[in-house]
Amino acid sequence: MKKKEIINMDELDPQFKYEIASQPGGEHILKCVQCATCSSGCPVASVSDRFNPRKIIRMAVLGLKDTVLREDFVWYCAACYTCSERCPQDVRIPDLMAAVRNIAVKEGCIHPAYKEQGRLIGELGRLYEVTEFENEKREKLGLPKVREKNEEIAEIYSCTGVGKVVL
Amino acid sequence: MSKSEPRIGVYVCHCGLNIGAVVDVAAVAQYAQTLPGVVVSRESTYTCSDNGQRSIQEDIENHNLSRVVVASCSPRMHGDTFMKTCETAGLNPYLFEMVNIREQCSWVHTDKEQATEKAKDLVRMAVAKVRLLEPLEKQKSAVNKAALVIGGGVAGIFSALYLANAGIKTYVVEKKPSIGGHMAQLDKTFPTLDCSLCILSPRMADIGKHENIELITYADIENISGYAGNFQVTVKSNPRYVIKENCRLCGVCAEKCPISLPDEFNMGLKKRKAVYIPFPQAVPNYYLIDAGHCLHITKGGCMLCQKNCPNDAIDFEETEAVRELNVGAIIVATGFELYDATQKKEYGYGRYPNVITNMDFERWVSADGPTHGKVVRPSDGAPPQRIGFIQCVGSRDEKEGAVYCSRICCMATVKQATMLREKYPSAEIYVYYTDMRTPGKGFEEFYQRGREHGIVFIRGKPGEIEEDDNHNLLIVSEDTDSGLILRNTLDLVVLACGLRPPEALEELAQKLHLSRSPDGFIMEAHPKLRPAETSISGVFLTGCVQFPKDIPDTVAQSGGAAAMAAALLTKDEIELEPVRAAVDEELCIGCGLCEENCDYGAIEVKKTEEGMKAQVIEVACQGCGVCAASCPQKAVTVRHFTDGQLLAQVTAALEPEVIV
Repeated sequence: MKKKEIINMDELDPQFKYEIASQPGGEHILKCVQCATCSSGCPVASVSDRFNPRKIIRMAVLGLKDTVLREDFVWYCAACYTCSERCPQDVRIPDLMAAVRNIAVKEGCIHPAYKEQGRLIGELGRLYEVTEFENEKREKLGLPKVREKNEEIAEIYSCTGVGKVVL
Repeated sequence: MSKSEPRIGVYVCHCGLNIGAVVDVAAVAQYAQTLPGVVVSRESTYTCSDNGQRSIQEDIENHNLSRVVVASCSPRMHGDTFMKTCETAGLNPYLFEMVNIREQCSWVHTDKEQATEKAKDLVRMAVAKVRLLEPLEKQKSAVNKAALVIGGGVAGIFSALYLANAGIKTYVVEKKPSIGGHMAQLDKTFPTLDCSLCILSPRMADIGKHENIELITYADIENISGYAGNFQVTVKSNPRYVIKENCRLCGVCAEKCPISLPDEFNMGLKKRKAVYIPFPQAVPNYYLIDAGHCLHITKGGCMLCQKNCPNDAIDFEETEAVRELNVGAIIVATGFELYDATQKKEYGYGRYPNVITNMDFERWVSADGPTHGKVVRPSDGAPPQRIGFIQCVGSRDEKEGAVYCSRICCMATVKQATMLREKYPSAEIYVYYTDMRTPGKGFEEFYQRGREHGIVFIRGKPGEIEEDDNHNLLIVSEDTDSGLILRNTLDLVVLACGLRPPEALEELAQKLHLSRSPDGFIMEAHPKLRPAETSISGVFLTGCVQFPKDIPDTVAQSGGAAAMAAALLTKDEIELEPVRAAVDEELCIGCGLCEENCDYGAIEVKKTEEGMKAQVIEVACQGCGVCAASCPQKAVTVRHFTDGQLLAQVTAALEPEVIV
């Protein structure tokens, strides 16, 4: 049997909860009473034990910053707002997840799937690659060809700084 | 000023570190010394202590002080203390002014330098005002030695009995046709499992026959005026259309009555007739006719009850009766309302027949309930085998407007689960909770016993209840202790609904000028030291009208409220605050704005030889100052808060150089 890891609390980040609370969407994190109304109705939690909104909030409050930011579970929230509707303490969990993701991105912990999407948009201007096959079909329908690359997006990425984050 | 220059003493308090840690008290005291008229200025660690007070009294004698300023906490905290200090030393207590440099300075600021400057400003303003204060004399007023208790639940019953047993004439006014309140609806009480009505009904009977108690049921409070020691209360009793002396409780009237209605006492789970008795142990114990639904009263005709009554007890001629009560003290004991579970849509109460509330459960399990005490699934009458309780329904729920914990639901659920366990030894019983709260004598032991009886407590609040075609209930919840997500199919779900302030409390609070806390319950005079008093002198509190509490706490508070009321009612006369309005008749034009604005009916415009003039009814005036503020002629002033005194304070705030 694998030995259970004991976490030293002095190695955790007690400021992490305040960092989340200072982000738009994260303001209500400290209202959570761990009642588990969120996790009981969460459609993602019902199919994956990797995602449990209550546990993520608990880990954040305890200061497990590295775990929360580096593991991929905060990216699982589908923002369906079921939990938000029911939460008796008005914690606004999907907004809170967005706030945590924003912090994660700032710390360079962006999920590879999102990173790949960012790269595709930056390069092509869209989420999927257009090939000759699609353009031939378009031609038959009398539609103009679509550019395979889009340089304007690259410029927007560079002006706004999005490029630095996703590329 | 023609009078001799006032001799002022200023006392700046450290209040331990409460003030001293933020405000430089020595600097403020030194500064006060430089203000005009200040003869002596001192700092003190605790001005309210015996030593602190003695120092003020010695200065009054030795320095011949004619005014005193204390800069410390709030007037509400220690205003009376220092007024008495002055009075004992022979100085009129109204020549004293208090400055709050704690709540309004040290407690709310962190910058020491600026806080010290603010404390100086506040002291300078008080010195400017105190110079202009006039001595005032307290008037005395006779005390009407009777009490009124509003509400006839367990809180009202016990406070009334305590008062009556102390020899005080007590009126009990109850809105419903019987006293007893919510406690009468309960089957058993936690943690002893005493039969609720067995312990309450003897006390209800005592109310009905006590020589010092006059019980007025089925009645509303129409109007309240007056002040501590002398309230006038108008009470309107609704007609019951039944003559008490003639009614022998034979029940023939109800048998013949063609109108069937939901029985409120049984939470609508049973039916009653338009002529009915609320419950068998009701006090007063005789029938009444529900005028809103009686066929004869609403449409005319019928009169089957009257035709069949063997004792001529039905009297359709009865009308409402209005009475004036003169009492010296009022105890408010109007209780609570249960949270309306239909508001929590995700739990389906009102849509799913097998979802019931904790109060519904009490009636199902009661011998007088719809099934004579047999708990069944309302959908098919089958005995439930898998039962769930959900805690904190409408409590600890910011979105439902109640941040507070209702205090009684955890124990009520443990009680109900224990009763179910006795009735159905093989049933599976689950309690879904967020935190179990069992702070009370014997409570934790009772909770532990429930666990030992196999009741399973699951830490995790379900998000919703779903229902299948057979009206079984499906709950998905997380068990936070194991981290598992659980799906449970149940026969019956009981919602542990929280307690709310009753809707009608708004109106009563306005009539009595009572403040309410953010939770909607009535605010007590002090949360720790004066829990049974209100901000209005002579008006006391007990039971859930102040905050949710269980029966032992309610009975204890009723004793407290009765003792406070008795302390007032055993005096022959009480002193009235002289801080009241006064009218300068030469300036008054009789416009009547003051009369219109006065909440207390304390100022009236009357015909005099000089025309229409406003006159203050001294005993009714509370000194709030609305009349003075609204008078276009500046003809009304409030003593101790005159325009001159207030303007001197404002000038001192804005133009320090004028004073120094």
